[in-house]
Amino acid sequence: MTRLCGTCFSLSKWAKLACLVLCFAAVASAQQFQFNLDRLAAKASDTVEVSLDGSTLQFAAKFLDSKDPDQDKVKKLIAGLTGIYVRSFEFQKTGEWTAVDLEGIRNQLKTPDWSKIVGVKSNEGETDEIYLRKENGKLTGVAVIAAEPKELTVVNIVGPIDLDSLAELGGHFHIPKMDTPKKDTGKQIKGAASSRPRLIY
Amino acid sequence: MDWLERELKGALSREEPPVDFAARVLRRAEMPVRPVYRWPRWLAAAAVIVLAGAGLGYRQYRGEMAKEQVMQAFKITSVKVNRIQSAVEGVGK
Repeated sequence: MTRLCGTCFSLSKWAKLACLVLCFAAVASAQQFQFNLDRLAAKASDTVEVSLDGSTLQFAAKFLDSKDPDQDKVKKLIAGLTGIYVRSFEFQKTGEWTAVDLEGIRNQLKTPDWSKIVGVKSNEGETDEIYLRKENGKLTGVAVIAAEPKELTVVNIVGPIDLDSLAELGGHFHIPKMDTPKKDTGKQIKGAASSRPRLIY
Repeated sequence: MDWLERELKGALSREEPPVDFAARVLRRAEMPVRPVYRWPRWLAAAAVIVLAGAGLGYRQYRGEMAKEQVMQAFKITSVKVNRIQSAVEGVGK
């Protein structure tokens, strides 16, 4: 009897352990940092929230049409991804979001796993940053912060992704690709190399 | 005769039915039989087809929704990354 109870306890213990492992796996495959931007949704005139885990991405990939050039590119890009999380807010007026809103995110991206590869700040109040997450020399995630006076976008792509291919998509979707930037942008590059910087890692 | 035999004899001894037993049996036999409702096979088959179709339709709907979300996420991200890349390249030139 004691032996039986011991087995029951052991099974229960294993079940708990399995649950913990599953929970850990679920959390591990989820977002790599927390956005904590829910409070901005109330102020925003337009909000986009996308949270797609790996299984949903692979499920969606089955519905992407390879004959469509845009969808074919996206299909190839999401092949190795385990998540994509986007929060984008548009505001009617300036000053609805503050630097404090982004500090929480930036603090999470200060860990050794993350490295800032691009930081662009313009006189018009635009701040753009791209961070890469590497584990054992392999790219495992990308974070993008794009802040404008009336717009704020934060993205976390979980998994390896080719940023150049991603940027090329910007020229698709019927949106003109910005190959020729304005001459007097007054932009300051932070963290960019002295030679011609590229988003290749 | 031991107790076991006595018990067996008592248990297996013939017992006369109640007086109105035959009448009750006849009365019950004359009562209309309650029909047992059976689903027609075609209806069951149709139900299976409808359920399977609804399942496939829901799967398609979820897939299309997920696809739209993926396309939207990539649209937003690619536009931002493209803009950042252009800004970086512009400064480097």
